[in-house]
Amino acid sequence: MSQRETVFIVDDDAAIREGLSNLLEAVGVVSETFPCAEDFLRHWDPGRPGCLVLDARLPGMTGVEFQEKLNSSATHIPIIFMTAHGDVPMVRKVMKAGAIEFLTKPFEKQELLVAIEHAFAQDRARRAEDAAVAPIRARYESLTPREREVMQLVTAGLLNKQIAAELELSEIMVKVHRRNVLEKMQAESLADLVKMTERIRAVGH
Amino acid sequence: MEATRLERISEWIIQQVLRPTAIAGFFVLIAFLWTIPFQHSIAYPFPFLFLGAVMGSAWFGGIVSGSIAVVVSTLLIDYFLVPPLYSLSISGLSKSFFAAFTICAFAMMLVVASRRRAERAVREARDQLEARVEERTAELRQSNLELEESARRLRTLADAIPQQMWSASADGMMDYSNQHLVEALGAPLTGALPDALPRILHPVDERLVRHAWNSALADENPFEIEARIRMADGGYRWFLIRGMPQRSVDGKLARWFGIHIDIEQQHRVQQGLIEAHDELSRSARTLSLGEMAASIAHELNQPLTAVVTHAYACREWLTAGNHEKATATAERIVQESTRAGAVVKRVRALFRSDAPVRQATDMNRLVLDLVQLLRDDAARQNATIRLALADRLPMVEIDPVQVQQVMLNLAHNAMDAMDSVAAPHELTIHTRQEDSVRIRVTVEDRGPGIAADALARIFDPFFTTKSHGMGMGLAICRSIIESHDGRIWAEAAAPQGTAFHFTLPVRA
Repeated sequence: MSQRETVFIVDDDAAIREGLSNLLEAVGVVSETFPCAEDFLRHWDPGRPGCLVLDARLPGMTGVEFQEKLNSSATHIPIIFMTAHGDVPMVRKVMKAGAIEFLTKPFEKQELLVAIEHAFAQDRARRAEDAAVAPIRARYESLTPREREVMQLVTAGLLNKQIAAELELSEIMVKVHRRNVLEKMQAESLADLVKMTERIRAVGH
Repeated sequence: MEATRLERISEWIIQQVLRPTAIAGFFVLIAFLWTIPFQHSIAYPFPFLFLGAVMGSAWFGGIVSGSIAVVVSTLLIDYFLVPPLYSLSISGLSKSFFAAFTICAFAMMLVVASRRRAERAVREARDQLEARVEERTAELRQSNLELEESARRLRTLADAIPQQMWSASADGMMDYSNQHLVEALGAPLTGALPDALPRILHPVDERLVRHAWNSALADENPFEIEARIRMADGGYRWFLIRGMPQRSVDGKLARWFGIHIDIEQQHRVQQGLIEAHDELSRSARTLSLGEMAASIAHELNQPLTAVVTHAYACREWLTAGNHEKATATAERIVQESTRAGAVVKRVRALFRSDAPVRQATDMNRLVLDLVQLLRDDAARQNATIRLALADRLPMVEIDPVQVQQVMLNLAHNAMDAMDSVAAPHELTIHTRQEDSVRIRVTVEDRGPGIAADALARIFDPFFTTKSHGMGMGLAICRSIIESHDGRIWAEAAAPQGTAFHFTLPVRA
């Protein structure tokens, strides 16, 4: 958490990279530059906090394809897109896929800085959430497959009898599993367990 | 030498002396032998068989033989038959008889000999005639053979040539297709000339070829045209189609000969060259104008973005009092601005070549080349291209590629304009001599026309009436024509449509 947040700039035009890194340096933001998406992926450590400033039109993998790739690999770095001519369908697509902002070149300093601030905040929040969820997840991982099934049905609001019928178990066994789940998950109550389930889901598996 | 001379002499002696003498002797001897038995039974001397001997000698041995027979007969008759017998003297009474016999014999001999000569001459003449007729017949047979042989050789040659060939009679009926043609097309050409060819052509080329054919047929002139021919496998290949009239000695049309030369490869190379040229040629084509504008925008935007971000950074450094960084950043701003300027210069150079390639060009030729380029597009857009080319148009000194791009652009615009109206979609290209120093080219359409206020601005950059246009095409056209010291303008055409005119100076 003590690591400084970094803006990762990916643009094939060296002048743009220099301009951006110069500006960010002037306003006291750490940045690193990459000429293409592949280069970034090779050097980037997903543990480092920060955000991506990405040219939509790149040689090799385009910005849009890059975003898709990051999303499918469950990497959650916030992305700010830049382009010289953004057409509406493309903007709509990347925004729907979770982009922070879509900047049309040339953009104003304030637009960029606000977007970066926004991206950092999102990254921070996600990392905090990740950190909070991590122990819950660890506890969840310790459950047996049967216990996970029971937990799922319990949090869905089913009664013991229904769960027994669903899983073809005796009601007594369901009660045993249920007690074990609550114990292992360190949940005070059923409501607590439901909340934990939601947090794990929100972060993703 | 000596031997032949001797031989000749002996031959002469045999022919002229011995043979007549022998013949005369033979006949006279027979006459004499036959006369002896009658000598004593008939009161008068009986010389008639000797007349026969003279006739026979004269007939078979000629005048010499006849003469010998006459002399010998006379002597024999005198000696044996005419009293006094057994002496050569003649009694007074017998003198007249004897003289009569001699004269008769001599006269008969002459008549027979001359008849004989005449007959021989006739026979000789007949023989000669016969010989000559035979000779002539042989000659005729020989020349017939040679003719046949040469015809066969010609056909073999025609079949061996790896091009399609055909011929047609003077009235235009197809009567021969060489093997290559039959193989390539799957069937020989049949029927009347003006219909046979278009049937095997690409629909786009058909009308053009039919037109060329009909005018060639009417004028009995050779013709030549490039067109696509449908092959047996259904594909099309480019051919140079050439038709030639053959005239008989009196100058009348005798036959038509045709050859189709495969130029697919050439055409492909040429097409490739044209495309490569277009690609390279800095004159923009209508099709790529949108893309070009986008790429220009992108090219300019990059340095501009860099300049703006550096400028923001510069202000921050100045505010922070970091002069070193501020100066370095200002330097970057200068560099990037220069880069933007270079982009602008390059774009300018695209359309206004500083040193254009100029060459003497026949504008009519250029228009005809253009029509070839436009053929497919015209067919696709259902437009007909009409040409009204001036005779004896003076040459112009131009960059032919650039000027052709202008015409291509105008023609594409014209066809696009006519898309929205009902047929006929007629596009007309005129060339004419404007005055002593200029020529004028007009591209006219039958589209809906352009509003008067738009006409004035139509050559301005970014002005467009098209939904998908960038408004650069005509601006580029104007820049090209003006760089050639010409003028371009548009006006409404009658009864409807728009006419684009441009002038170019005549080559000095």
